[in-house]
This record gives sequence, C-alpha cells and structure tokens, in this order.
Amino acid sequence: MSLMLENLALNLNGAVLIKPFTLEIAPSEIVTLMGPSGSGKSSLLSAISGGLPEAFKMSGKILVKGREISSLSPAQRRIGRLFQDDLLFPHLTIGENLLFGMAQGPREHRAFKMQEALVEIELEGVEHRGPHTLSGGQRQRVALMRSLLAGPDAMLLDEPFSKLDENLRAAMRELTFAKLKHSGTPTLLVTHDKEDAPLHGRIFKIENAEVKRVR
Amino acid sequence: MPALGLIILFLLPAILVLGFMLQDAFVPAAWAALFEHPQFAKALVLSLGSGSAATLMALIASLFIATSLFQTGRIQKLSTALGFALAMPHLAFAVGISFLIMPSGLVARLLAPLFGWTAPPHFITVHDPYAVSLTIVMAAKETCFLLFALLQTLSREDKRQNLLAQVAAAQALGHENLSISLRVLIPQVWRTMIWPVIIVFVYAATVVDIAAVLGPTQPPTLASLIWSDISSARAESNLRGGAGAIFLGLACAAMILFSALAVHFIMPALRRFATRGPSDSHYPVWLAILKWRGLVMWFVLSGSALVLLSFAPLWTFPSFIPQVISASPWQRIFERPDAMVTSLALGLACALIGLLLLVAWFETMPVKFDRIVLIVSVAMLGLPSLLTALGLYRLLLRVGLSATWQGLLLAHLIPAIAYMFIVMVGPYRSFDNKWRCASDGLMASRFKFLSHLKWPLLKAPLAATAAVGFAVAFAQYVPAQLVSAGRFDTLTIEAVTLSSGGNRALLAAFAFLLMLPPLLGFWIATKIGRERWRSA
Repeated sequence: MSLMLENLALNLNGAVLIKPFTLEIAPSEIVTLMGPSGSGKSSLLSAISGGLPEAFKMSGKILVKGREISSLSPAQRRIGRLFQDDLLFPHLTIGENLLFGMAQGPREHRAFKMQEALVEIELEGVEHRGPHTLSGGQRQRVALMRSLLAGPDAMLLDEPFSKLDENLRAAMRELTFAKLKHSGTPTLLVTHDKEDAPLHGRIFKIENAEVKRVR
Repeated sequence: MPALGLIILFLLPAILVLGFMLQDAFVPAAWAALFEHPQFAKALVLSLGSGSAATLMALIASLFIATSLFQTGRIQKLSTALGFALAMPHLAFAVGISFLIMPSGLVARLLAPLFGWTAPPHFITVHDPYAVSLTIVMAAKETCFLLFALLQTLSREDKRQNLLAQVAAAQALGHENLSISLRVLIPQVWRTMIWPVIIVFVYAATVVDIAAVLGPTQPPTLASLIWSDISSARAESNLRGGAGAIFLGLACAAMILFSALAVHFIMPALRRFATRGPSDSHYPVWLAILKWRGLVMWFVLSGSALVLLSFAPLWTFPSFIPQVISASPWQRIFERPDAMVTSLALGLACALIGLLLLVAWFETMPVKFDRIVLIVSVAMLGLPSLLTALGLYRLLLRVGLSATWQGLLLAHLIPAIAYMFIVMVGPYRSFDNKWRCASDGLMASRFKFLSHLKWPLLKAPLAATAAVGFAVAFAQYVPAQLVSAGRFDTLTIEAVTLSSGGNRALLAAFAFLLMLPPLLGFWIATKIGRERWRSA
C-alpha cells in the first residue's frame, strides 16, 4: 500500500506550474512538501484527490496500491484529506460526523467503532453534541478520526495545523503522525512551516516549478 | 416624517385587510351554503391536490438542479435566465403553454402528419378534469422561483466557500455527488426554503387566473369556484365566496401544519439516512443541465407561441402555416389602448412609489421596526390573494374608494411593496457603514452621501427592486378585477376574459403584451445594475 506519483506535472492556462516529478510514498511514511504560496502546493493536492479546477491540466500517473486513479471521481479515489479548517458538518452531531465516512454496515458495529474513536482522542461522551460545542483543537482531532474511519488508502494533509495555537500544534502533530503511522497510511503533508514536518522524514520543496528533495 | 408614507400606503391598509377579509367568518348561513355546494368536496381535493403536487414537483426539481450544479460551480450561470423566467407573468406563460398543448395546438399540428389527423385529436389536455396541465405548468413556473431562492442562499459568498469546502471534505470521505446533495447540502439549506415553499403552495392551491386558462371546469378547483361566487352579482353568492376564501385559507394552513408534522416525524429516519455511510449513488451532471435547459425551453417556446399566434387571425387545423398572417389583433389593441395604458401606468407608478416609500423608510426608521414590515409583507405573500383581495375590496368599499383609480393603485401597490421589501431589505440594510464614515470625513452632506455614494453603490438592488415591483403590479389579476368593478381594464383582466372566448390571436397578443414589459424591465435592471468595471 503506497502512494506513487509518476511523472506528475501541472499546467495552469498553458503555463507550467509544476514540472514533471516522480515520488513514491511508502506505507506509514509521511513526506513533507513545502513551497511559498502560489507555488501550486494546494493545486497539487487537488490534482491527487480529484476536483482540480478546469483551468489546470494534469499529466502523469497517480497510483494507489498499484491502481491508477487519475480517471476516477474524487469519491472513488479513496484518498483522505485534512484541511486548514476542520470542516465538521455543522448540521450533524460529532458522532454523526464520525459515522459520515464510515463504510455502510450493521449499525451496532459502526456505533462501536465511533465510540472507540472518541475514546482514542479523549472525547468520550460528546457524540450527541454539535461540533460548535468543541474547541478548535478538539474539532481538528474529530476531523482526523473522521478521515481515518473512512479507511483511506492514502492521506493528504493541507496545512491542517496552521490554524491551531502554538501549544496545541505540537500535540496535534504528534497525534496525527502517530495515528497515520499506526494505520500504515502513506501521507503527503503540505505546509509552509518547517516545524510541521515530522523528524527524520523526507522533505521536498517546490522552487521555480521544480520539486526538489531538501532532506 | 418620511416613513409615514409606507405606514399609510402599505402597513395600515394591509393590517386592515387582515381584519376585513375575515368578515364572513361570522355568517353561519355563508358556511352552510358553502358546505351544501354540490361540487365543494371535489373542488377542494382538486385545489389542495394540484397545489401540493405542483409544490412537491417544483421543490424536488429545484433542489436537484441547484445542489448538483452547485457542486460543479456552475450555479451562478443560472441567475440571468432565472430572472427572465421570474419576470414572465404566470398568466402569459400559461397562455403560451396552452397554445402549445391544446388539441388544436402547435404540438398536435406537428404530430398531425404522423398520425394522419385532419381534425384536432380528442385528447383532453388543457382544462383536463384532474388538473394535470394546471399542476405541471405551475410546477414549471414555481421551480424557477424556488431555484431563485436556493441561489440566494447558496451564492452568498461566505456560505458558498464554506459549503464548497464541505463538498470537498465529503468527497474525500468517499461520497458521490447525489449522496453529497442528500446528506450535506440539502440538510443545510432546506430551512431557508420553508417560506418560499409555503408561498408557492398557497399560490398554487389558490390560483385563479391560471386555473381559468388551464384548470378543470366540471368541477373546477375550489379557488375558481370561490372566485365565481365572489365576482357574482348575487349577494348570497358573495357571502358564500367570502366564507369559501376563508375556508380555503384554513385548508391550506392545515396542509402546511400537516406537512410540518410529517417532516418532524420522519426527521430521525432522515438523520439515520444522512449518516449511513458513503454511497456511490451518482447523479449525472448532464442530467441536471438537461433538466435546466428543458425548463428554459418551456419559457422560450411559450413566448414564441404567443408571438406566432398573435399574427395568425386565421389558422385552421392541421395546417402548419396560418391561412392569414396579419397584424389585425395588434391593430385592435392599439386602436383601443386603455388596458395597455392602465397596466403600464400602474406598473410604473407602483415601481416608483414603492421605491420612494421604501428608501424613505430605510433612511429614517431604525432596523428594529423592519420586522413589522417583514411580517406584514410575508403575510401578504403567504395568504391566498383571493382572501387579501377580498379584504381590500371591502376596505375600499367602506372608505368609498372602490372603482376609483386611487383604489386600483392601492390594490396593486400592496402586493408590489410586499415583494419589493423582501428583495430590498437585505442589500439596503447591510450597506457597509464605512462609506458613511468616509463621506463624513470629506464633509459631504447627507444628501450628497446618498445621491453620490450610497444609491450608486446600491444601484443593482435598487434597479432589481423596481423591476420586481413593476412585474408584480403588472401581473395582478384578482385584486385588479375586484377593485376595478368593471370601470377599469388591465391587460390581465382582458387576457382572462379572452381566455374563455374564441379569439386566440387577440388573446395571444394580449398575453404577449403582458409578458414583454416585465421582461424589458428586468433587462433594463440588469443593464443598470452592471458594475462600471470589474475589479480582479
């Protein structure tokens, strides 16, 4: 189970945004991609997860578990994504948010998994509350578990720590990385803050439309 | 006190109308006569059934078109065409459609060579006993109204960005677009649809002029039955009509209450459905686009039919080309232009007076009083026009203004202002105060601030408000007919009268005249509202 980007390149209205590059992310590995704003980081994530605006053109291959996914719809790609905002659905309770992405099945089984997830992030007993009753850090934790419960084959992190307080950030980073490593999910993290990158992990940078390894 | 204008010309009469319309509720004989009417039960079922079916069809169609196009970011493209569709009066639309679908209509002529018809086929299309054509035409027209309401909610910039981000999140959790519409978007927008849906339902269940063109006749809908009672010369019939209008209003309220209860009870099941897990149910976007294009096509075809027929005084079935092509219907209208002039004058006067009264209100009254105007406006739109028009008619009789031009103006002004207020209140009240500070800092007078800064910046909503006021006043039928008492003619009155006669070409010309000015008004409003330049 790995995420493979093969000769991936992006054009915007005919201009080169990212030149072809190849990158394989192993199971449980978290690769960091850095670059100034406007360098195409977020567009690259959209290209991988689907839903790239029409002005962009992508070439190359995206392989997940050896399966070519670039012709699939975003929902069929099985690629999880965490955003700057937690994007918990405001019309659903916290428990319902966790159930939202979980595969269909017997109700008791799904409810059990939901409870388990809440225990793991030390939020047991809040499943009937609305997302607005939680703090920013708690909400981001729920969003993380919601993504994991959907059982993604790969994960994209789009600066998910950037809106958290300094003291919360470190804890959230640790939790996120631990969970992703434990589940064996290959992960691509996009950030402009070097602090966000996991220790010892590979780091790439977008510079003049080229993706280069810096660590 | 500049705000007095709105109070005297809108709030006060509207509130009095609410009292006068209930007058017959306390006449037992009126109720007895109503319930003894042999067609009462069937007519009631027709009214409520047709109204509910049209509302449900419009709601489902608008929700699917809006939520699936929203996900592709294409929803903004609907707004211009929607504006034109809304500006087209129901009556003109219905007349155009009737020319298409009637047994001797354009569709039958197209099919005639195929089936060898030499006389109009015996299918019953318009005036069908189950109100099918009435229901479908109302559904098509009201789909546009509900789409417009949805567009308002979905295109508010902050809301739009937030919902689009949620769509991306739901996709990353494995949901396809139909699932996202049902589980993410509709649950978050349906509440804003409650009032529009109620207005659509009451309108569809109590409509009179469209029912005269397309509705069943033996028995007719309850609204038509009541209307013939109200406009009858016999006093007993008038009483029965008054009680009938109240009864129809109550029946609508009961239906709304029943629907609210039903929604309440199925809510837990809906919530379970929302969180059952990802589903790959896919709603092809091309289907939504096709539905939308199909809807637009109805309006284009209806308008085209009106133009075509109005130049064809002699056109026998199954010929595909009129035997006589002439402008004689138009000549007749321009030789006796009273109805056209009256309608245009009423429309323009209502747009102008409404705009002045509302600006005066917003500039001098604190925000907290807006609520009163809003409640009265929503009441005027949510109550059957049969009932409010009857109340107004009695009020005008009491003060001696029935069958006067002042009374006629007031009868058109009240519904026009009700719509105008709802269109205008949001943009006008949310005007950014920083411009006022900037203007004060430059020592500009209050009037200079308004005329050089605020109104130019608000020109789009102001122009849209005027266009709406014009279109609403222009399309009034029930209050116009009642209050004019035969002394004044408007285009709607002429069109409804002609719809039961045989002169199709003249009816087409009148319906076309009814359609053109509101469309022009809307077109001018979009031109005025266009930004001077587009900033990046």
